[in-house]
Amino acid sequence: HGVRRTRQTSEAVEARKQREQSRLKEYLSLTDHVLAKKKSRDWSKDAFEATSRLLQINPEFYTIWNYRRNIMLHGLFVNSPPEVINDILSEDLSMTAAALKAHPKVYTLWNHRSWCLENVPDGPGDSRDWKKANWSRELAIVEKMLDADARNFHAWSYRRYVLASMPEQRPETAELAYTMRKIEANFSNFSAWHQRSKVYTSMWGSGKLNKDKCIEEELELVKNALYTDPNDQSAWLYHRWLVDAGQNRHILESEINAIEELLEEDPGSKWCIESLVHYKRLLVRNHAAVIGKEQAEKLHRQCIDMLQQLQTLDPPRKRRYQDIREFGLCRALNLLTSSTW
Amino acid sequence: MSDSETHFDVIILGTGLTESIAAAALSKAGFKVAHLDQNAYYGGDEASLTLDELVQWADTRAADVDPEASAFAASQTAKFTSISHSHHVLPNSRQYSLSLTPSIIPSKGPLISSLIGSGVSRYGGYKLLERIAVFSSGEVRNVPGCKEDVFKSKDLSLVEKRRLMRFLMFASGEFEGKPELEGNESSPFSEFLRTKFSLKDDVVDAITYALAFCTFPSDPTVPALRRIRRYLLSSGRYGASPFLVGQYGGAGEIAQGFCRVSAVHGGVYILGRKILAVSASDSSDKSGFTVQLEDLEDKLTCDLLISSQDFVPPDLQSTTVPVLLSEQAGSDPPPGVARCIAIFDGPIIFPSSPSQQATTSSVDDKGTDEAETANSETQSKVDTAILVFPPGSLPEGSKTSAATVLLTGEGTMSGPAGKCIAYISLPVTNPDKSAEMLLKPYLHATLASVTESRSESEPHSLFSLFYLSTPPSIPSPQSFASSRVVVTCPPSNLLPESMDTATKNAETVFWEAVKALRPALSEGGQEDDTVESFWPPLEVQDEDEEGW
Repeated sequence: HGVRRTRQTSEAVEARKQREQSRLKEYLSLTDHVLAKKKSRDWSKDAFEATSRLLQINPEFYTIWNYRRNIMLHGLFVNSPPEVINDILSEDLSMTAAALKAHPKVYTLWNHRSWCLENVPDGPGDSRDWKKANWSRELAIVEKMLDADARNFHAWSYRRYVLASMPEQRPETAELAYTMRKIEANFSNFSAWHQRSKVYTSMWGSGKLNKDKCIEEELELVKNALYTDPNDQSAWLYHRWLVDAGQNRHILESEINAIEELLEEDPGSKWCIESLVHYKRLLVRNHAAVIGKEQAEKLHRQCIDMLQQLQTLDPPRKRRYQDIREFGLCRALNLLTSSTW
Repeated sequence: MSDSETHFDVIILGTGLTESIAAAALSKAGFKVAHLDQNAYYGGDEASLTLDELVQWADTRAADVDPEASAFAASQTAKFTSISHSHHVLPNSRQYSLSLTPSIIPSKGPLISSLIGSGVSRYGGYKLLERIAVFSSGEVRNVPGCKEDVFKSKDLSLVEKRRLMRFLMFASGEFEGKPELEGNESSPFSEFLRTKFSLKDDVVDAITYALAFCTFPSDPTVPALRRIRRYLLSSGRYGASPFLVGQYGGAGEIAQGFCRVSAVHGGVYILGRKILAVSASDSSDKSGFTVQLEDLEDKLTCDLLISSQDFVPPDLQSTTVPVLLSEQAGSDPPPGVARCIAIFDGPIIFPSSPSQQATTSSVDDKGTDEAETANSETQSKVDTAILVFPPGSLPEGSKTSAATVLLTGEGTMSGPAGKCIAYISLPVTNPDKSAEMLLKPYLHATLASVTESRSESEPHSLFSLFYLSTPPSIPSPQSFASSRVVVTCPPSNLLPESMDTATKNAETVFWEAVKALRPALSEGGQEDDTVESFWPPLEVQDEDEEGW
């Protein structure tokens, strides 16, 4: 309603065809022109401007981007003071930013930006202000992209690259807060949880945070997600990462309890059952001596039943559950007959 | 004036929201409309008034009934009783736009569609309602309305979160015919929640009174579920909240907008004149009505009369055809509502909402620490919010019905800078106390909870008005008489429903009118004499700015 329908007369269609033909001719002649210059190793300003015109029409023409970078390295930058170099690179950053608005997923544009950022000279003077300013702006651009689509894993990857490249590193606690904001906005976001796990790993490694305490807190956090939406894969995978290889028996047992409680509320939840199988097996595998033979057998039997259930609940993975069941069966048999008891 | 100037297809009496929407639709459809109101302002019982106008409104209705009073005045005095107000004189009266019918607009529904379809949406501004909270165990608690809210809530245990989510998923889908509902369609909604979803009392209260906007514990399940579903599906259209709040006074401003559209399409407006007489035409072959206004020599005539109940004179009562929605017909008359309008100094403080914190981003390095501390604050300022008091939540309040409080700040452009308005509504069936006695506890509790505590004194309002609104009973539909008045019924009392029901009523009125008048229209010999829809398709460019 309210949308005007334009009628295409045959004259209009013909006129459009004509325009397309002339534009095509222009593009092809420009391409020939630029490629000829490239072949002759023309590093002049004219050549540079020619590449600008061509790239505006077709930003995916990576050969021309390479040529453009070579013009900068072998022509425009040679014998130029750092300010000039910085200005040229800033111009290119603005140009690609504008192009990205129209073509947000073109790899060549992002590639050229990285190259420009990495080639920003030190300055002004002895400072690294130019570098700082450019990388900060880049971070702002990535954040805008993540605001638009918080699950764009290319953007998350690029964010890690930008954070690592900044001359003054931002505190990791700030990154934890950022992932928290994204998770609170929508916890069905594997990339945000994943980023969180990377930051924690780094901070535990450097001793900045106490690993045990963090895991306790994160388990609480992720359980809120699991209970709110038991079907959300990303939360279950983060939970898996937290429990890890199951070295901590207390954690294993309390998490198993929590998931069993959730299963009572939501019987038939595939992720609950699958996770219970996984964690109970870990319990038997790692803590058989402590929990005792009877309990181990009981857990094993429960797993067999659950795997049977999963075959009906999750038909696409029927074979996998069958495999685990049979493998698990063997494993348990081995345990029972093993002389380590 | 010649006959053609004083004869109309339709005369509409009263510029309430229902009548105004109908007037706009009829004018746009090509009918000749005269729209009259004895008040000097638009909006009728849904009007937005300045502070002085509101005080005058209250005083005229509180005065003793004048035996010479018009049908309108008598009806108004009967409708609004138990009136009392403070005598403080506040400056800047003209900057206030106080609504007689506080309301919020669901982002998907008849009203928003009509606002867009008629073009009235361009005349006003709208803000997203920021918060809905419930008064529980003496404190204000945010009501989670979406998955993200539930995730972050600190008031719910893990199991409670799961059960609440299960309910929200149920309510937003096709629940008709589902096993949980079988046999429980009319049972009390709160009981349904307790038994079928194993929810605890405080969660039940939050859902029943602050998500479904039920007023009594006995309110039935299916209508409540339908409302919740409509609201759940409304969220996300303009933002996280399902509701919009109209600026410049809400319903009154919107009614005025529809009148403007009507005028632009030829509607004639006469306000502020007493309606002296309304009579049916006495000629046998012609059915129609004649209306005489004070200080206007010529009488106005019309083929069809549409009127709010206030304006129908006693002798014509038996010929009225009330326009009812199917769910209103045959039901008990809606209870009266005790209302309070109070002005107080802002800002309005509510506990922080989870989603609100999640949207702030930290871009520059220096900003990160600030952003972190902001996230750890437990309270924040809001401009619009609703606070619901379930039955029994306030020791001195009602044990049988729920009160809703709509709070609006300066961003709604309904008061001068720094001033906020609280609208309190409490449905009452047999009031045994004055409106003021009934509502004062709620006013105190609200101000104590949402304003910053100042050192010595208890928080108090700068101005307050209390009254009881008792709509007249809906007349039962009469059989078709040759001369009949189409009467509009008052909209629902519920905060999010009043304007949508007014719109649905207006649409029914519109089609009734078209049915009655169509023979007249086709005589005009226009080529496009079929009325296909409530609002004609939107023109891409609408040049309609005649003098107003």
